This record gives sequence, C-alpha cells and structure tokens, in this order.
Amino acid sequence: MGEGTGAAIVGLGMTELGKVYGRSPRSFAAEAVRLAVADAGLTLGDLDGLLVSHGLGGSPGIELAATLGLRDLRLLSLVNSFGATAGAMVSYAAMSILSGAASTVACVFADAPLKPKQSAGSAYDRGPEAAPGQAQWYGYGGMTAALGFRSVNTFYALAAQRHMARYGTTTEQLGAVAVSTRAWASRNPRAQMRKPITLDDHRSSRWVAEPLRLLDCCLVSNGAIAVVLTGSDRARDLARPPVHVWGWGQGHPGHRRERGSGFGLTTGAATSGPIAMKMAGVTVDDISQAQLYDCYTYTVVVTLEDYGFCAKGEGGAFAASGALGPGGALPTNTGGGQLSAYYMWGMTPLSEAVIQGRGDGGERQADRNDVILVSGNGGILDHHSTLILSPHPKEV
Amino acid sequence: MDIGILRRDGRTDPFFDGTASGRLMIRRCASCGHWSAPDQGTCAECGEEGLDWAEARGDATLVSWTVVHGRPAEDGTVPPPAILALVELAEGPWLHTRLDGVAPGELREDLPLRAHYEHRGEGETALLFRP
Repeated sequence: MGEGTGAAIVGLGMTELGKVYGRSPRSFAAEAVRLAVADAGLTLGDLDGLLVSHGLGGSPGIELAATLGLRDLRLLSLVNSFGATAGAMVSYAAMSILSGAASTVACVFADAPLKPKQSAGSAYDRGPEAAPGQAQWYGYGGMTAALGFRSVNTFYALAAQRHMARYGTTTEQLGAVAVSTRAWASRNPRAQMRKPITLDDHRSSRWVAEPLRLLDCCLVSNGAIAVVLTGSDRARDLARPPVHVWGWGQGHPGHRRERGSGFGLTTGAATSGPIAMKMAGVTVDDISQAQLYDCYTYTVVVTLEDYGFCAKGEGGAFAASGALGPGGALPTNTGGGQLSAYYMWGMTPLSEAVIQGRGDGGERQADRNDVILVSGNGGILDHHSTLILSPHPKEV
Repeated sequence: MDIGILRRDGRTDPFFDGTASGRLMIRRCASCGHWSAPDQGTCAECGEEGLDWAEARGDATLVSWTVVHGRPAEDGTVPPPAILALVELAEGPWLHTRLDGVAPGELREDLPLRAHYEHRGEGETALLFRP
C-alpha cells in the first residue's frame, strides 16, 4: 500500500464529555461531526460518507445526515458491533476509501445515558423501578433478573472472577490497572477523574460486584466523538498531521453458554489482533503504545493476554509490573481511558490514539507513537475490533 | 430473599411447571439431542428450532460467581449480600442463577451444586442452587 492508496484519520471532534445534560445524542453527534470536519480543515460539503454508531441511550441514527444537511452521500449507514463499533466504523470507512466507493467519511458515536439525579451505575441497568419485593418479573429471563442479574457489572464480575480463579489474577493486579490509568488521566485536562489514586484507594473503594470494586469500573458519560477519514494522498495537505490506518481486524468468538466455553478466559482479541497486525505488517513487539477498551480493569488484563503482550494468565502480573503507566514499557490508555477519562465506547481509545499519533498529548504524550494499537470490546466480551494506526504512511 | 414476584410469560411456562413440582425443565433438541438453557429457542449445535422441554438431573458445578452487596436503605440497614453464579448443568448448559446455603469463602471452581426451589407466597417458584 503506497502513500497514495492508504486511508488516514484527518479530523477529530470531541464535544464536552461527562455530566452534560439536556441534549440528545443527535445534537451531540452533529456537534462532534462539525468539530471533526473543521479540525481537518474541511467543510461539511466535503463529506461523501457518514457512519453512525449504535448507542444504548438512543443512537443519533442515519437521520443525522439530514440534521447536518449532508447531500449526495455515497456511503451512509448505522453500524453496531456494540463496543467494537468505533474500530469497525474506521475499517469500513477505510475500505470505502480504498475501493473508491467514497472519498471522505465521518464516523461518529454519541450517547446520553446519564440523567440528572441518577447514579452513573444505574444508567445502563434494566428492570422495574418498583420497590424491592413489589417488582413483577416475567418468564425465565425475568427470573434471572429478579435473582440479581440486572446490570452489566454482574456479568463482567463473573468473567473477571473466572479469570482470577483459573489464573490466579489478584485484586492488587486489577488495582494496578486502575492506578496506572489514573496516573495518565491526571495529565489529561479532558479527563473526568484526575486525582491520582493508590492501590490502597482501590482496595478501599466499595464493592460493585465482587471481585469488581468501584475503581475497577468505567465512568458513564454523555457526549459525542467523531473522526474523519480520507485518502492518505489528500491527507497530507489538510490542517492536521494525518494518522494513517495500517490495519484492522475483528473477532467475535461466539462463546456458547455451555460446557467448554472460554467465557472470561479468552476474547475476540485473540482473533482480531493477529489479523490487524498482519495487515499492518507488524508484530506485537512493534507496538509502541496500546489504547485499550477498558470498561473494567479486568478487560485490560485479558485483552493484553489475547494480543500476546504477555502469556495467557499473566496479564495481571504484566499490569502490576508497571508496564502500562507513564514511563512503562507499554504505555496504555494514556488519556485515562474509560476508567478515568470519559466513556465514549470505542471512541475513547480511538480518540486518544489520534491525539497520541499527532503528538498532541502534551504532558501525557508517550515517548513513542510509531505503531499504536487500538481495541474495541462489545457485549460481555462477545465482540472485538482492532486498529493499527501510525503517524507514518504505511510502507509499500 | 426478597426478589419480587415471578410471573409466567407464555414462552417458558414449562420451566415454571417444573419448579412448582421440584423438577428442573430445560430444552433438548428433538433432532440431535443437544441440551440447551430454558430460554434458548434454537439449538446452537444443529440449528434446529424445535426444542423440546426435558427434565435435567438438577446436578451442576460452579463455573464462576459474584457477591453482590446491596446499597444501604434509608434507615441504614444493609441488605445481606447475594451470591450470583454461573453454573454448568450436568447436561452441559450454563445457567445464570443465585446460590443459597453457602458462604463466599467456600466458593471455588467446580464446586458441586444441586438445584433448589424456593417458593414465596405469591407468583412462581424460583430456581436457585445449593452445595
């Protein structure tokens, strides 16, 4: 792939993120796309493609194109691979550009699950609001919810606990992920949580669902993030340094809920990572930094293993070695991730990769940014996407 | 255990017929014999959509678990923690359930469990598991 035939991220737009109330996902999304286009030095009229992510709090929908007044688009679609969607959208945009189906494509995620006076933890819960004992539950699935499975936290807790029981992963090792991620967040002005934390802070934070404590769990945020991609040849002449897309992959393991399942032990990263790295012409040893989907500290641990940064079962020890934090061997989630910065599904790691790829990280800019791995994770570890990005055009 | 009131939904009624009489009814493929969880509509093994209801032994082993702590009520009382679990039936399917009669310290992978049925005054009987 020569410089003239690659695809690159040329625009990044981020709205205010966090406890921002009174706006719809579509309103946030429109602002993010406008910001991303302006960031690239383009106008909305330059877009001929728009990919819109699904969102649980209500997706902006493909009606966003009309909201923005976009005309004569050659690519317009709603994309849903849950938390793997951002990586998937970037790959579909790149493929459209490489094939000539479209030339300049915006990809956007927006969500607004947070309401005033509501706890972040309940923003994505399911179930009746009735007082305990009064609620009525229907069918077998209702019984499961009645018994306590009402939050995604409980399902991830089962996954994390299985990993801990099988491989000896410890609370302290999960805490190391929380601590290193917060250390990065403390250097990111956009991060929602910037006060440094210690392993003791992690250990004394309240249980959400054992073995997950509050500081093992991501934030919940309202807002939107968009990126704009175009061909690498055109990218050189735009306003900001391009971040080239070297490779992509997906993995959907389809773990069945039955004997022999790898639930909690392995993820789609084991499939997605090698595909993306092979396409990019790199190996795991070439990765300068990792921007990983960190809905929970445990997610980082199991993802590191599946990409091959360490052996299976050693992700916890790898995190506890200090590798992930500032000055570590594998700077990871350098913006503070979903745990400490902002929760925009797969746009959290992707946006930080673009910032790092441009060298815009300021206080938190990692020493090396030549090859950046970005992950997305959706469902209960059901869906995975990988991107390999670089400030350098991909060599032929 | 204050979980609310369980009602039938018209799709999984044989499961509740089972719990009412102390039997664990799950799905079994009429075509290939593969066992599935009560809420499965299609056989994951062969794609068959005609899944029969069949009685499972009620034996299971522990796959994973989470201890969930409720938030304190307004009067300061803290509800007892609940142990939620993923269990593997002897027939193979995994169920998301709740454990009863076991302390968190006793939990380990492959802990043998038995189906346990709990009925409150109103509504259907719930399925739990105990060592």
